[in-house]
Amino acid sequence: MVSLVRAELRKLLGLPTAWVGLVLGTLIAPMVVVLNAPYTRRAIAAGTLTDISDLGLRDLGIGLIGPMVLGVVVVSSEYTSTGPDSPGARQLTATLAAVPNRMRLLAAKTTALVLVVAAQAAVTATATLTLTQVLHGDHVPVPAPTRIAAAILYWTLTALLAYAITLITRNGVVPLTLLIINSSVVSVSYLLTKVTDLASYLPDIVGARMFIRGVDFPVEIAPVTAGLVMTAWVVALLAVGAVLFQRRDA
Amino acid sequence: MNTVRAELCKLLTLPSLRLTALLTVAANLLLTYAYATAEAHGEPLGDDAALAPLGYSQAGFLVLGVLAAASEHQEGGQLRTTLLAMPRRLPLQGAKALALAALTLPVAAATAATSTVPADGVGWVPAATGYLTLTTLLGAAVAGVVRHAVPAVVLLLGLYFIAGPLLRAKLSSSAAYLPDTAALDPSGGAAATITWTLAALMLAALTFHVRDV
Repeated sequence: MVSLVRAELRKLLGLPTAWVGLVLGTLIAPMVVVLNAPYTRRAIAAGTLTDISDLGLRDLGIGLIGPMVLGVVVVSSEYTSTGPDSPGARQLTATLAAVPNRMRLLAAKTTALVLVVAAQAAVTATATLTLTQVLHGDHVPVPAPTRIAAAILYWTLTALLAYAITLITRNGVVPLTLLIINSSVVSVSYLLTKVTDLASYLPDIVGARMFIRGVDFPVEIAPVTAGLVMTAWVVALLAVGAVLFQRRDA
Repeated sequence: MNTVRAELCKLLTLPSLRLTALLTVAANLLLTYAYATAEAHGEPLGDDAALAPLGYSQAGFLVLGVLAAASEHQEGGQLRTTLLAMPRRLPLQGAKALALAALTLPVAAATAATSTVPADGVGWVPAATGYLTLTTLLGAAVAGVVRHAVPAVVLLLGLYFIAGPLLRAKLSSSAAYLPDTAALDPSGGAAATITWTLAALMLAALTFHVRDV
């Protein structure tokens, strides 16, 4: 199993698109903190920020494009044609020749993805929060370790969500479009919370409740419940994806 | 003219384009409904409700352009066959752009009409249709340079939905130079949209002219 995970790690880290996700996802959030610094300082001085302890943690949301790209390409790369000279040849056939047991393969893929994304999230969270402390340390308390851990968990679950959707669609464009539009400044899920209270239980909205406090949502959800609801979404979609992967032709 | 007809025929027979167009129109209907409901609940969502849904559904048009251009490079390089039939590359690129614009125009008009007409913005329909068509051409031009669908989608959507809004929020003066400002403010960003699209199309034509297949 260790060698399977190592192989999947090497395949994932050999993809140029995966590196786009890694670099973008890691750099955007710290950059936003730096760019926002003058505005934030003024807002703190004027007392217009609703919850100062969210600072830094809230900026992490903008880097989510990283885990999304990673979660998608780890699957979609297996299904794209390997080159113009070999039409119809896809990496998946080689992968399955090496590891015919599909559930073991999925377990290895999932482990590799979780390892990479958790490492990326830890680096990004550390960088973002350290910068926040350096820039606004006098006014902003260090967030509790559980909240930082929850933010890392949110990144990992987002990557797994993208991964599960791609296992179902077997094509990278659909999940990427859905997820990136939804991670924009005013997300579609947020719009839907204005239409129905049920939308508060959509995975991206409920997941953010794990570590962000000061946002007014119509439904109050405790952090642990929020984590459980998002995990339930991911587990359900992964189960569908795994069953389809087991049963469909390669 | 034959080349345009051939390109149109290729685009019309791509299932992925049909699916994208259908999903875009459906998503646009849903978003228009969401905006109208929020408005009715007394929680207006800031932007002009006639154009705001288009800010999201333009993603469908970007994807449409990307898939149209990337399809030539996938699965065995259809482009080689295309070039055997039509070796002059610049006229071919022009025919491709024309065919894609002709295909997109009705979808763009339908999308623009569904979101603007219920919100009393009939006057926006021509501008919105033009914007969505240009956005599709821009998507196709970028995918023509990148040649792979997934990286092109990441690049375009990252720029339109993450970098663009961030820049506009930080530097309001940058709005006039971003290609997607026109989605919300047609008078303020039309020139930028046209310039970016023409520049991308020219870059795509140039790289197509000099690169190996």
